[in-house]
Amino acid sequence: MPRISFLTSGCAVDFPDGDDVNMLRVAIRNECGVPYKCASGNCGTDRVLVVEGADNLSPPRRRERDRLGDLLAEGYRLCCQTYASGDVSVSWDPDQKALDDRWIDRALPSKADERLKRRWLAESDSAGSDAP
Amino acid sequence: MAELLSKDEFRAALEEAIKGREAKNASFSLAWANGHLKREHFARWAENHYHYVGPFADYLGYIYANAPDDATDAKDFLLQNMYEEELSDIRHTDLLIRFAEACGTTRERVVDPRNMNPVTRGLQGWCYATAMREHFAVATAALVVGLESQVPSIYRKQLPPLLETYGFTEDETEFFDLHITSDEVHGERGYQIVLDYADTPELQQRCLDLVRAGAEMRYAYTKSLYDTYVAPDLGPEQPAPTGGDVEVALGSA
Repeated sequence: MPRISFLTSGCAVDFPDGDDVNMLRVAIRNECGVPYKCASGNCGTDRVLVVEGADNLSPPRRRERDRLGDLLAEGYRLCCQTYASGDVSVSWDPDQKALDDRWIDRALPSKADERLKRRWLAESDSAGSDAP
Repeated sequence: MAELLSKDEFRAALEEAIKGREAKNASFSLAWANGHLKREHFARWAENHYHYVGPFADYLGYIYANAPDDATDAKDFLLQNMYEEELSDIRHTDLLIRFAEACGTTRERVVDPRNMNPVTRGLQGWCYATAMREHFAVATAALVVGLESQVPSIYRKQLPPLLETYGFTEDETEFFDLHITSDEVHGERGYQIVLDYADTPELQQRCLDLVRAGAEMRYAYTKSLYDTYVAPDLGPEQPAPTGGDVEVALGSA
């Protein structure tokens, strides 16, 4: 059976031949200690260095390419975006955070906050138009 | 009287409860994966799918309210899931609408509840009722394990033909790509919550019943899309291809 070795935590997980499995799902299910946050390829918290078995991983997805940039060529992958179909070994910094520290703070002040403000303003406009 | 299952036994039973009822094997999913659909069929799918997944954060909100204060990890999971649906990035329903517009329909048509069929209306109502009325572990089993955890296996079969056969772009299909990966994690976290908090034989059996029902609801919803929008164009349900992992579809589910 193929094996994923999570070197930093010393955890190893076997999976059936012929399957391909999401790396982060395997790590969570087996409590292998890979740090993660958004699980959507946005924050990069779950990046790992592929020590062995890069050829047994799915091609990088769009979000992974966008998020990792040059780190991809250095051998990093995002666990949440990556499927393994054979033996692979990965390591990571146990204290690592999101790639861009502004990611957490940036989400609300820009995109979401603008949307909420637009919605509130629209509601207040329509409330005003109904006023006698 | 049922006995309390170990976590391993309970997980296996939950997985078994979905088997034979997977929406990826419903006629609409098969026609999609086999390249038989037209853009207008995808447009009708989007106009229905919006009303099933659009309120997902609402469903989770009801479950959140029913979870006790000391179920902190469960509440955090639900809140995180709601946040990711709505605010952490592009709103997920906006990605669905982007795909719908590429299929030739409009945002106005997608959000108009008059454009969903009765089976979709039933699925949405079932989701609301389950979220509001069931124990939070049972509702999580139904909606996250029974429904959401199926998403990666469905979309991993459906995204490649969208790009390679139907000619959509990566940008137009981001809704699918995002859910292939994010729902892997949501599904896994959902399993953990259910395994931890369904801690009596009665709760475990109720979870299994609701997972079974949820899978049947999603199967029926997917089949109804074929019956309502595709069969008039392409005739009755396409036979399942042989040699793949497609299982025999439910008769009249």
